[in-house]
This record gives sequence, C-alpha cells and structure tokens, in this order.
Amino acid sequence: MSGAARTAARRGERRSLPALTSDRGIALLLSAIMAGLMLVFLVMPVAAILLRSLDTQAGPGLGNFTATFADPRFWDLLVNSLTVSLLSSTLAVGLAYLYAYALQRSNVPLKPLLRIVVMMPLFAPSLVQAQGLLLLLGRNGAFNRFLGFDLDIYGFWGVALANTLYTFPYAFLILSAALAVADARVYESATMLGARPGRIFRTVTLPATRYGIAAAVFVTFSLSVTDFGNAIVIGGNFSVLATEIYNKVIGQGQFALGAVIGVVLLAPAIVSKLLEKRISSRQQAQMTDKSVPLTTRANRMRDLVLSGYCYAVMIVFLAIPGIVATASFVKLWPYNMAFSLKHYAFDVQNGTEPLWNSVYVALATAGLGVTIATVSAIVVQKFRTPLSGPLSFLAILPSSIPGMVLGLGYVLAFNNPANPLNMMYGTLALIIFLYVYYNHAQAFLIASTSLKQISSSFDEASTMLGGGVVRTFFKVTLPLLWPTLLGVGVFFFMRAMVSLSAVIFLITPETQVAAVSVLQLADRGAVNQAAAFSMCIMAIVIACLLIVRLVLWLAGAKSVTLIR
Amino acid sequence: MDSKLCITALVALLLSVPAAADEITVYTSYEEDEAARFLELAKKDMPDLEVNMLRLSTGELAARIIAEKANPQHDVIWGFAASTIVTPQIEETLEAYRPKGIDAVPKEFRAADDKWFAVTGYMAAFCVNDERLEKLGLEKPTSWKDLLDPKYKGEIVMPNPASSGTGYIQVSSLLQMMGEDEGWAFLEKLDKNVAQYIKSGSKPCHAASAGEFAVGASYDMRAIKNIEEGYPISMVTPAEGSGNELEANALVATSNNKEAAKRFLDWTVTKTAADAYLEWKAIVTIPGGTMPQRFLDAGLPQDTNSVLHPTDFKAAAEDRKDIIATWQEKFER
Repeated sequence: MSGAARTAARRGERRSLPALTSDRGIALLLSAIMAGLMLVFLVMPVAAILLRSLDTQAGPGLGNFTATFADPRFWDLLVNSLTVSLLSSTLAVGLAYLYAYALQRSNVPLKPLLRIVVMMPLFAPSLVQAQGLLLLLGRNGAFNRFLGFDLDIYGFWGVALANTLYTFPYAFLILSAALAVADARVYESATMLGARPGRIFRTVTLPATRYGIAAAVFVTFSLSVTDFGNAIVIGGNFSVLATEIYNKVIGQGQFALGAVIGVVLLAPAIVSKLLEKRISSRQQAQMTDKSVPLTTRANRMRDLVLSGYCYAVMIVFLAIPGIVATASFVKLWPYNMAFSLKHYAFDVQNGTEPLWNSVYVALATAGLGVTIATVSAIVVQKFRTPLSGPLSFLAILPSSIPGMVLGLGYVLAFNNPANPLNMMYGTLALIIFLYVYYNHAQAFLIASTSLKQISSSFDEASTMLGGGVVRTFFKVTLPLLWPTLLGVGVFFFMRAMVSLSAVIFLITPETQVAAVSVLQLADRGAVNQAAAFSMCIMAIVIACLLIVRLVLWLAGAKSVTLIR
Repeated sequence: MDSKLCITALVALLLSVPAAADEITVYTSYEEDEAARFLELAKKDMPDLEVNMLRLSTGELAARIIAEKANPQHDVIWGFAASTIVTPQIEETLEAYRPKGIDAVPKEFRAADDKWFAVTGYMAAFCVNDERLEKLGLEKPTSWKDLLDPKYKGEIVMPNPASSGTGYIQVSSLLQMMGEDEGWAFLEKLDKNVAQYIKSGSKPCHAASAGEFAVGASYDMRAIKNIEEGYPISMVTPAEGSGNELEANALVATSNNKEAAKRFLDWTVTKTAADAYLEWKAIVTIPGGTMPQRFLDAGLPQDTNSVLHPTDFKAAAEDRKDIIATWQEKFER
C-alpha cells in the first residue's frame, strides 16, 4: 500500500468510526480464516517434512545440514541450479513481457489464438513437454532424423530451454495482468512533452509494471529451481538440487537428506519477501478515479514487427504438443508412420474414469482456489491487520516447495491418527486442498498484480459514501477484478487437471486422477498411449475453456478474455 | 465465510465409505498391465474378496510406505523389490507369515524370518537398437566386456543405482562376480563409454528403443515388451551372467483384516498364480513351469538359470548403502 493510501486510510478511520469497527472486525475475521487454512494445509505439512531434516541417527540435531554442506557435490548442484534457473527465468520473463506487451498494447491479429497457444505447457501433463522436446530435438528427434541436423539436447542448454518454455506461461499470465490496465493521460502527457516511444516505454510502461516483473521473475525462478521433471529427462548427466531431492527421497528413502535440500530451496521465497517492500513501495496504482483507459493507436510498423514475433513464439509452442499428438496417431513413431488409433484404446487401470475424476477435482479446485487466493490477496494488499505480513509470506511460499516434498508433507501431517483432520486422508477433498495450496503462489501473485493496479481512492470513495469493506468489494473491486479472477480460476483448473508430482503420494485405488494414468502408462512403456491420454486431457481442458467462453458470451460479457 | 462453508460441504461430500469386512488394500510395484491381469485372476478365485490395488514404482512406493508409517493404509505388499523391502524402515512394518503352500517356493527366495517371500523376479538385460547399430556400423554387444570397446563411446545409457533398483543389481552383480577391486576398476573403464546415468531402470531401454542411444542397460521384461511394441531393438543378456532381483510379497503388521490379507497371500503361491506369472515374468521361483514362446523368441533360454549370475541376495541388500555411496563418489556428476 502506498504512503498516500495509508494516510487516506487513516483519514477514513477518523471520519466514520462505527462503520470501521465492523470493517475492522471483518478484516480481522477474514485474515484469521485465511491464516487458519494456511496453517492447516500449508504450514503443518511443510513443518512435518522439515522436522525430518533434523532427524539424525544420534537424535534430533543439525547433523544432516552439516553433512550436506560439507559435501562438495552439494555446492556444484547449487551452482547448477542457480545458473540454469537464472538463465531460464531471464529468458522467460523477457520473452513473455514482449509477448504480453504485443497482446495488450498493439493490434496484433488473432489475439485469442495467441493467448491460448502459449498456455499449452500449462494444460498438458509435464510428460508432453519433455517428450515433445525429445521427439523434436533429441539425438533421434525429427530435426536430426528427418532434416539432417546434428543436435544433442541433453545437458545444461536443454534444461534451460525446457524450463524457459515451461515457465513462460506463468510469466505471461502475471505480466499480462500487469500490462492490462494503463492510464491514457500519462501516455498523452509524455507524448505531448515530446518523448519518443522508446523513452515512454522506459519511463512510463516499465516502471508501472515493476511489481508484475518482480512477481514474474520470482515465480519463474522458483518453478525452475524446484522442477525435477525436465532436468531428469533432458538433463542427462547435468544434475540440479531438485533431482538430488528425487535421488534421496524416491531413490533411497532418505527423507531427512531430501528435506535438507528442501529447506535450501525455500531461500528464493525468503529473498523475494525481503525485496518485496522495496519493489511495492515504488509501484503506483494504474487505475485511479481519474484514469482514462489507454486505447491502442494504429501503428502498422509496430504491429508488423510484433506480429512476426508473436507468430514465431506461437509456432514453437504449437510444435511441441503437435509432434506428441502426431506420435500418438501413428503406429510407432518414428519407425512406422502409418495412421493408427490403437494408442487411444486405453487399457490402463480404470480406463478413462480417472479423466472424469480429474474434471471433478479440477472444478472444485478452481472454485475453492479462486476464493482462497483472492481473499488472501485482498487481505494482504487491501487490509492492514497484524496478520498481513506473515500471510503475504506464506502466500508465496508454496512456489519454493517441490511438489514431491509438499505431497510427502501431506502424508506425514494428515495420515496421523493424532490429527483431527485425519479423516480427510485418502479423500479427494485433501487432494483438492493440496492442489489449491500447491498452486497458491502463482494465483495469489496474479490476483495481487491486478489488485495493485486499482487505486485505493476507489475504496476511499466507497468508504466515504458509507460502503463497508464487503460492499466495497462487491460493488467496486469485484467489477474491476473479475476478469482476472476468471483467469485465476482457469489457471487452477488447468493445474489440477495435469499436475502429478505432489499428488502421487495421496492417490488411493479409489481416488485415481488422470495425470496418474499418464504416469502408469509411461512407466509400463506404453509411451504413445501415455501421449494419447495426455491429448485427451488437453482436449478436455480446451473444451472447458470454450464452454466457459460460451457461457460468458451468452451472458453478454463479450469482450472479456479468460486469459488476460 | 464462503470458503468455510465450502470446505465443510466438501469434506462431508467426499469422505470415503469405511472399508467392508473382506476388503483389503494391496500396494504393488508390478507394472500396471501385469498387476491388472494377476488381479483379475485373483478376483476370479476369490469373488468375495474386495481387493483395492495401488500401483507405484518401487521408489515411489517405498517413499509412500515410509511416509505413511504412522498409520499404514495397506494390508499387503505385493511384487516389491526384495532389496528395498529389507530397508529397516519398511521391514519393521511387516509381520512374519508362511502362506499355505509356501513350500512350493524354494528356501533361498524367502526371508529367514518369514517376513517376506518372492515368487517372481527380474534380471538385467541390454536393449540394443539394431537400426542405430547399423547406422553407426557397430556390432551387437553380447557382454558387459564388449561395452568397454571405445567404439561404443557415448552410445551407452545405464540406470543410476542411487535411484534405480535395476541400476543397483547391475552394479552389485558386477562387483559380486569380479570382486571389489576388479569390479570397481571395470566400472571405471565402462564409465568412459557411458553417455548418461538415467534415474530409472526402464528409461534406458526406452531411450534405446526411441533410437536416442544404441545400448540401454535395463531389465528383461522391459526389453521383451518393447520388442513386442514393435521397436527395432533386441534383447541381450550379458554373457558374464545377469544380475537379478526378487519381487517380494509380505503381510503388513498393522492390517485390520489379516485373515483376508493372508488369503490373498496364500493365493499368490497357488498354481493359478504361478501360471499367470509365467505369462509375464521370465523369473518365476516356483519350479516346473514352461516359458512362453514369446520370451524364447526375444532371446531368453528355456532355463533362465543358465544366463543368471547366482546372486547373493543377502549380501546385495547389506552392501547397498556402501556400494551406492562409493558409486556416487566415483561416477555421479
């Protein structure tokens, strides 16, 4: 909150004390509920796994930490993790900023298509991404085999490329929300003062999206640092800290040593929390009561250049699922290219039933997730309660926790007869909460980025007119915010349809989800059947997007986009 | 407020129905298609027994069993790597049980304290991509020793023994047959030709099948299944003898329904079960079965003992931690 807003809030306090007392009550109550939920579904599981890091043969102590830090291999892996994540994060944020800028501030044709295509990595299981890259750029990939190249993707550059593609959509979602609103008056005055477009971009656009850029860097960096899927498949002998957790936990059942590395990976969240104040304090709201929405002017040269860029990016994002889809429709890629539907006869346990389980879980996750992430964002950004500080840290913490670690934490915390919520263990409800909190950071940052663009003068006006926080929310904030929230809901839905690593420890024979079927098929060697199953998941996600779009259109909201 | 209501509703809606009397939960690492077939037969023989089966890979299942230790959810462990089941954290959750008809399983495939017994197993095998060999003008390797030839440099992938049971049996069998010093020296020479150590036992075979590398050290059934999928690969059992691993079954001490769990374990050593195993497994410890033609076509001999290295399972389990530590120090990058 800016200094001005704080003074304003204080002024408001004096003006209408009775309304504020109840407002204060609501603010505190909402903060407490959010904190309570985070305590149960985030802090408790994380604490359960982190306590393991203190488990040594000689009793509780720091022995695991000293042993890990004394190992030179640990420092090599740390350097590997940092360099590959910094590189892919820089690339992803840079590329996504230009892409989001093109979509929000220029007249590039076919915007809806451009928006959905770069989301592809989000709505396909991670297997598709890695498999697609190998089919394209592997030693026996399409480029080498059919086009005569001599590429070797395995190693540092392969992981950097894979992580850039994997984190691009997250960066895009946040940056797009940041670029969505702008005050035309600022741009007009800049133009009138004779500033050239380049200077306007540097002095107006960039500073106005500072919070969004910082959020995007943090999210993409954390995602790269905690992801082990790409590194395992494409890294070859290039190992990172996340693959070392996999080695320790899955390979050797040594939770304690895995947890030590888990603790190290929490560092990005702590650093970003420390930096957050500095970045936020310089961020001004874009939408004030006097704002004039920015309209894009015609500029053919700009549109031509940006179109070229956008379509080039689109081709890359289409090629990966495209080649996997092709492989799922031929007899045996790349040896027998005859058309075949045999990979679509799913003979996996429970057949296609897990698909429908997943749709149900994903819808519930979207509903619950949007509510929780939005209320958290409002509580942190708009209310000032003693809980705001801790909440803002906890809200972004999940992005620093590898899914595998969080999943194991859930088992340790909820499969404990002493836990009153023990009855939730083995139910889809717990899986839904896991999905909500696993993806909380990204959703929270998207909602926050949007909230920060809305001036608190709206809240003040509403308060002055006698509206309480609840009324202000429904009458002022929600109408401005709801397109973003819809996007957040879609985001949760997509994540719940496809994420695997966290949920693998919570599924039971009765609560199988689609991503697990993909894993089962891939594990038993039916790679193309796994690809086919992934295609069905993607088809369902796309169908759901279209249905929501249609409902919106019928409801009269023609200009709203699901993905901003 | 909304969210609170929402949660209460969700919890009420989704709580599972309590388990019926003759219902058991089985955790298995048999591959999904094998497990499904075995289970189908078990249900035919015991129609009144409700079996809920969860299938995860060995490492994932081990992590889950250890994490769930405070309140185990399963009654039976079925087809799970013997070298992992003897991890103290898992072994102490088991209860000794001698199934009816256990005498059909020779003693060396059972724990001395009856905490587990193994009816099936698997062995190390190379998946060799014939198309890639031909393109590179290489001959088909027939032994571990062949792989030392510099012409295979960069064309071999192996599982990482630190995260893969298959990788471990390959390394431990080489150490057992050559002795410590010579064994490590051999692995060091081999390392010069290895392109990657992959963190799973089946992925090296998939990589070879996809034509990414010429030779993927993996295991027998993975090779046979990929040949049946139509990949241009052949299976090679190393001439020195294949390292092998047992897949163990066990009763979980905390089971609420031990009678039913025991019935299921009894079934796993019946003739029906043994016949079903033979269809899917090259190593079945109950003697007297015949191997299906498709295994012979893939290159296995009728008597698998002729290609197996006689493994000291006890030593393999005991030395695991030290061997992995040494291996990581020497070869992990």
